Amino acid sequence: MTIDKTDQTEAEVIQGLTEDGRFLLQRVLEIERSRLHLSGSDVTIVEDLHLAVKGIVR
Amino acid sequence: MKLTEIKMENFRQFMGQQSFPLAPSNGRNVTLLFGANGAGKTTFLNAFTWAFYGNLSDDIEQKQRIVTDFVWQAAAFGQDIPVSVEVNFEHDGNLFRARRSAAVRKSAEEQGPTNSVFELWTSIGGQSKVVDAPEEKIRTILPLRLSRFFFFNGERIEDLVNQKAYAEVKQDIKTLLNLEQVEKALIHLPKVERKLSADFKKYGGDQAGKLQVAIEAQQDSATTGKQKRTDMQDGLAELNEELQGVLDLLRQHSEAGPLQRQRDEAEEQLAKRVQANRALKADRNLLVATRGYMAFAGEMSLKTQAIAADLHERGALPAPLKREFVQKLIDDARCICGSDLIIGTAAMRSVEEWRSRAGLQSVEAAWQKLSGQVGHIADEREQLKESLQKYTVDIEVGRSEEDSLNGHLTELKAQVENLPSEEIGKLEGKREDLKRRIDEMNQSIGGEDRSIALAEAEVFRLRIQLRSAEVADELASSARRRMETVQAVQKALERILEIRSNGMRDRLDKKLKEVFARITVKPYYPELTADFELGLYQDQEDGSRLPVPKSTGENQILSLSFVAAVSQLAREVAPQNLGGEDSTDSGTYPIVMDAAFGSLDLNYQRDVSRALADMAPQMIVMVSKSQGLGQVLNELRPHVNHMGVFVAHSSNEVKESELIELGGLEYPFISTRSDMDWTQLLEVTG
Repeated sequence: MTIDKTDQTEAEVIQGLTEDGRFLLQRVLEIERSRLHLSGSDVTIVEDLHLAVKGIVR
Repeated sequence: MKLTEIKMENFRQFMGQQSFPLAPSNGRNVTLLFGANGAGKTTFLNAFTWAFYGNLSDDIEQKQRIVTDFVWQAAAFGQDIPVSVEVNFEHDGNLFRARRSAAVRKSAEEQGPTNSVFELWTSIGGQSKVVDAPEEKIRTILPLRLSRFFFFNGERIEDLVNQKAYAEVKQDIKTLLNLEQVEKALIHLPKVERKLSADFKKYGGDQAGKLQVAIEAQQDSATTGKQKRTDMQDGLAELNEELQGVLDLLRQHSEAGPLQRQRDEAEEQLAKRVQANRALKADRNLLVATRGYMAFAGEMSLKTQAIAADLHERGALPAPLKREFVQKLIDDARCICGSDLIIGTAAMRSVEEWRSRAGLQSVEAAWQKLSGQVGHIADEREQLKESLQKYTVDIEVGRSEEDSLNGHLTELKAQVENLPSEEIGKLEGKREDLKRRIDEMNQSIGGEDRSIALAEAEVFRLRIQLRSAEVADELASSARRRMETVQAVQKALERILEIRSNGMRDRLDKKLKEVFARITVKPYYPELTADFELGLYQDQEDGSRLPVPKSTGENQILSLSFVAAVSQLAREVAPQNLGGEDSTDSGTYPIVMDAAFGSLDLNYQRDVSRALADMAPQMIVMVSKSQGLGQVLNELRPHVNHMGVFVAHSSNEVKESELIELGGLEYPFISTRSDMDWTQLLEVTG
């Protein structure tokens, strides 16, 4: 049986993640938001996200 | 963000030090400023964007002449001339002072480029504190790309509703609604995955390494395809814009207009018909896919029924195991309870009776079940046949309607081509060429979509293989877990972006319709498509609708309605934004607009002025005397907190000075025979 995803809510999408996944999602958005208006910061953002993943998922 | 005051020094024609209060109070949120053409209304609008971002709009000529001409000319060579704009505002409960300034040294007759400095202070507990990284902070408060929604020229605002701008507008709305960080995350996370995959390839062994390389190749292919698709979509938007321009000219043409309107109607009907036929075919295919096997079950079910009936009649239907088990007890002459089964005894009679009853019951039940199911199959088969026949008829009717509409369109095309006007001939040729190119572009985009889908399906398949691939090293296992979590987060963010974008478009569309309905008296309504295209429509008596050729005035109203809808939506959604900080007015922005009434006629001027005060929490509106007096002033008066005049001091010796009457008092409006050309921003306090 296929699941119809058209009526999924944001909360359901987030609920579908593992605990690590939920924590990582939150952290990713925090990092992105804090750098949103900085120009030329792509490399450091990727590096910070990489470290965040390593810190959260063992 | 609430603007409270602006101060200017030698900024363009605003000579010397000048200031003007802007803070709304007592529910009065409008600042109304009057100025003659060339008096400095557009420059005043640009004072805000120059202060915040160092930018001047495209309609400002001689951008390098930032210092008042007279001051520049009067200065000695080597002299530093101060120029600045300072804007005081409140945001999130804090007071801010933003200042852009420069000391421009005169080293030539003509002004050159200016290097300005931007500073920002905030007031905490009555103490002024310098804000570090001020440019970043101001862009956090009001992102540069959003400024065009809040600082704009009414005469140029229709730029918002041309097709070239749709993609940009869509992006701007995402910025406004704080979805940009989700989009950025979706750009960055694949790069993070690549970094993790380097670890995985290093430690994961031969098989896993090869799979990861194959995944990356497919990902690269999908990324390239997406870039190509974006480029083609941009090209398509330009072609559509061009086509709309040609169609508008045909609609407005006295001879071609009636035929073009008929063509619009026929094309609208054809599009609906094609869509309905596609839906019918899809439904029919689904029916065949899920119930089609019934078509082959007819003879088989009848044969099964006949064989079973024959066996039933002869009592030869196979008995279940239970009956055989009882027979074995009788044959062995021993019951499971331990009693001997001797012919003629009560125990033997009891077991024999049970054998007969048990077997027959089971056989009867199975027979009834079989008969029922076979009968049901026959009914379902009949239903399938009827449904397929109905689909065939409906699709045929639809196809015939399509043919008829296509025939009508061909006829209309011939009629347009037969019109004697050379201009129409050229427009029709252009229309044909654009439609052909649009079709080709759509086909190319469809092809690219398929390639992307194939590459993504391959990534999905390879990832499943990778998940079960054996890795010996713990470092590789850890890298794989991390990659899988990143992939899951990426998918979740894609869904969240989709959910939010669709929800926002629907809400924006609803607000746009509400605002537009308040302004216009005409039976038109706007619609915002999924791609943020803004269209204007009119319902027809037969239930169809037609696009309305938009005049400049209607484009302005549409754009103003859109800005108002954006402003309202920003205020509503700001506290709910993903990962957003809790703030009181992070989605609240003022609107500063020059030439608010652009080229609107008197009726529209009155209707727009009625709607203006509700457009945003703070409105700074600049108007000419002819636009702003009379009905406009009457409508806005109850909402006006500050009023002012851009007094144009001119060295013109020929023209007479002009006054403006406001609140029963006269104020200078144009002051000729002045020693110099400059503008004074005068507050009207009466």
